[in-house]
Amino acid sequence: MTGSALLRARGVTRWYGRGSALVRAVDEVDLEVPAGQTLAIMGPSGCGKSTLLHLLGGLQRPTDGEIWLAEHRIDGMSERGLARLRRHHVGFVFQSFHLMDELTAVENVELAALLAGQSPRRARQRALDLLDRVGLADRAKHLPSALSGGQRQRVAIARALSNEPLLVLADEPTGNLDSAATLEVLRLFEELRRSGQTLVVVTHDPRIAAVADRIISMRDGAFADDNRLVGTTTIGTTTAAGTGTVYGRVR
Amino acid sequence: MAGRLLLVCRLMVRDLRRRRTETVLLLVAISAATATLTLGLALNNALAKPYERTRAATAGPDVVAMPGATGPQALAALAPLASAPGVTAHSGPYPIAYLMLTAHGKTVQVVVQGRDNSPAALDRPAVTTGTWVRPGGVVIEPTFANALGVRTGDTVAINGRPLRVVGTAVTAARAVYPNADWRFGPGSPLVQLAGLAWVDSSEIGVLADAKPPSYTLNLRFADPHASTSFRHMSRGGIEYTSWTQIAETDGRLVKQARLALLVGAWLLTALAVASVANIVAGRVVDQRRRVGLLKAVGAGPAMIAAVHLAEYLVIGLAAAGTGLTAGWLTAPALTNPGAGLLGSTGTHPPALRTVLAVTVLALAIAAAATLAPVLRAATTDTVHALADAATPPRRRRWRVWLSRRMPTALLIGVRVNARRPRRAHLVMVNTLITTTALAALFMGLAQDQQVRLGESELASPRNTRTLQAMFLVVVVLCVLALVNAIVSTWTAVLDARHPLAVARTLGATPAQVTAGMAVAQLLPAIPGVALGIPVGIGLYLVATPGQPQYAPASWMLAVALAVLFAVAVLTAIPALAATRHPVADALQ
Ligand SMILES: Nc1ncnc2c1ncn2[C@@H]1O[C@H](COP(=O)(O)OP(=O)(O)OP(=O)(O)O)[C@@H](O)[C@H]1O
Ligand SMILES: [Mg+2]
Repeated sequence: MTGSALLRARGVTRWYGRGSALVRAVDEVDLEVPAGQTLAIMGPSGCGKSTLLHLLGGLQRPTDGEIWLAEHRIDGMSERGLARLRRHHVGFVFQSFHLMDELTAVENVELAALLAGQSPRRARQRALDLLDRVGLADRAKHLPSALSGGQRQRVAIARALSNEPLLVLADEPTGNLDSAATLEVLRLFEELRRSGQTLVVVTHDPRIAAVADRIISMRDGAFADDNRLVGTTTIGTTTAAGTGTVYGRVR
Repeated sequence: MAGRLLLVCRLMVRDLRRRRTETVLLLVAISAATATLTLGLALNNALAKPYERTRAATAGPDVVAMPGATGPQALAALAPLASAPGVTAHSGPYPIAYLMLTAHGKTVQVVVQGRDNSPAALDRPAVTTGTWVRPGGVVIEPTFANALGVRTGDTVAINGRPLRVVGTAVTAARAVYPNADWRFGPGSPLVQLAGLAWVDSSEIGVLADAKPPSYTLNLRFADPHASTSFRHMSRGGIEYTSWTQIAETDGRLVKQARLALLVGAWLLTALAVASVANIVAGRVVDQRRRVGLLKAVGAGPAMIAAVHLAEYLVIGLAAAGTGLTAGWLTAPALTNPGAGLLGSTGTHPPALRTVLAVTVLALAIAAAATLAPVLRAATTDTVHALADAATPPRRRRWRVWLSRRMPTALLIGVRVNARRPRRAHLVMVNTLITTTALAALFMGLAQDQQVRLGESELASPRNTRTLQAMFLVVVVLCVLALVNAIVSTWTAVLDARHPLAVARTLGATPAQVTAGMAVAQLLPAIPGVALGIPVGIGLYLVATPGQPQYAPASWMLAVALAVLFAVAVLTAIPALAATRHPVADALQ
């Protein structure tokens, strides 16, 4: 891969515990994600998907290895530096939404913009535009408790997009949603992909994976399969031994 | 910048609104501490200040001179003093007699001074009720009148002769009741407790059965040092008393009350900190999640600290304001009624020093209790903060082992405590402080509340005031302890809901579960009570001059049992409420 990748990881490792209780949650992972790619990470429960995502977004520090995001090396960054990075360049979407319960939908969306120092008026305008984009313009003044799960997740996606991030990281964004709500989120992701947003999604849902350009399967903290899909053709290389599921692309 | 400011304010306001109960409890806890501090500081100068005010308002003398001789001899001894070098003003000499006053069947010693309506350069007693002296009438110093239970219009007898009480008045020329210095005769070195009264000077001879009166002369000096260089001295058969001596004697009346308030303020502060820590600990899980969330959207440590600090600053400042106001409004109740002096502390705004001290205390409590968790949350991995669980309950192996050999209630109690040792410590501190204060109060109650003035006993203003102060401290302490107990039992019950539900599915009855929770709180309360009683008694002994009496052991036992009973009941209520819910709810 060229050095122009938006996100690069080399030998990234994250261990938990020690001695006999040592867990290699992420084990020497190499990864390059070019700008504009939609990458889905799949794998059985406990294989280290969430941990990897957290490492990539600077929510957690690796035990070993290097991570670059937009030419910034982030694995050794200070909390302040990481905060600034997340504020400007990374958007997160979580399985359990993680909206602030005491803030309304629009206030949740403008949170990141206000943190980034935008004027309250511009932040509000942008937040309303984003809510419109996710189809929730009429729910702007509602508290999260008054929204359905799918609506909450769409608010969270709008929030993740608020600062025009270089990278959006989503951890099982549909894990708590029923199929109708999942379809709404799916539609949004498809739209993001088309607009050229770099997106990394951890998911168990083959429908979500189906909109990706590339699918990685993880097992025991390492990559088992890495499939690049362009159009309907699979140009993939298998990095590690083992036969992970190969996900086809329906177009 | 405007955006971030908006964000901080918005998050603060929403959070405070969402947690109204907690906010109010925090406010109560910190206000209680600040109110006590205000009171302590206000009363610190309580009697000195009114004494000085009284001195200014009544043209109080610098020095009072009283010869040992009586009649014309006394007048002759005093005559050269008025025109001595350095003396800028004088009043008197006024006749004085040491007599007995009878009211409501009690006969007590009284110092009677003869006055008239002619203007005086020094010592013009300020009438607080009724009028000044006139023939057939007596004016009584208000603290004394209070202790006697007489009012303007009542009739009292002095040496058997009836006189109408026409008014009350305060002076700076003689210490207030019961320190008006009664003697068996002029010049007698033996000084006894007494009150002060004024009659028309024409009547003093009759009241004293025609015995020659003693005299008192009020002096003012050009050089202030002339009156501050000594307190009391005898020279050439004349006794000189400086105003500093009188101020000190009056101040002694509240010295113990002040001490009680001071110690009380410390106890309250400790309890308030425990209380705040308790409340804050209850929301740590929630707070961690909030911090994680803010971090995930890109808030740095400074921003997170700002959001939380803003909240506690607002609570701290509000509590400082509430405490200042409450303390300042209560202060007059302790110096009045009948402090025997003019003015009350409440009529003047608090000194800047007081405002500063109280604000610093409030902010320090707020910051101390909140900064640590916030800092910890701000520097931990975002992922840990986002994970919902707080620190997992600790497992104490020996306690689990021990509890297997106990009856069910005890077993549940021990296990609940083993899960959260810090909460158990808090319960102990809470009961320790409350019991300490209660034990000290009961020691105070066991003391003689009366002073003997000749034939009869009257209420001791010093002990009354000390008890008042202790009572005040205890009431505020109990309110705080109650807040603490409610918060800690509710959180304990909430926290233990899941294990208790498991216990119920395994067959424990609601009664056993309730008893178990009560035991969980009682176990740490017992050492708190056991320690609190000797500490309270010790505190009282250290703070009290002379040889105080011990309170009966039965009182102390009652205090201990009452505290334990209160703890048990306070826990049983929420626990019982929790057991009314179906087990399945709690298990989810
Ligand atoms: N804080 C932690 N302490 C110890 N071990 C942890 C911690 N967090 C995760 N692990 C372990 O690391 C491994 C990977 O966890 P991770 O959450 O990344 O899995 P996952 O692939 O996201 O699983 P799932 O699909 O169930 O969400 C697991 O074995 C887990 O037990
Ligand atoms: Mg996961």
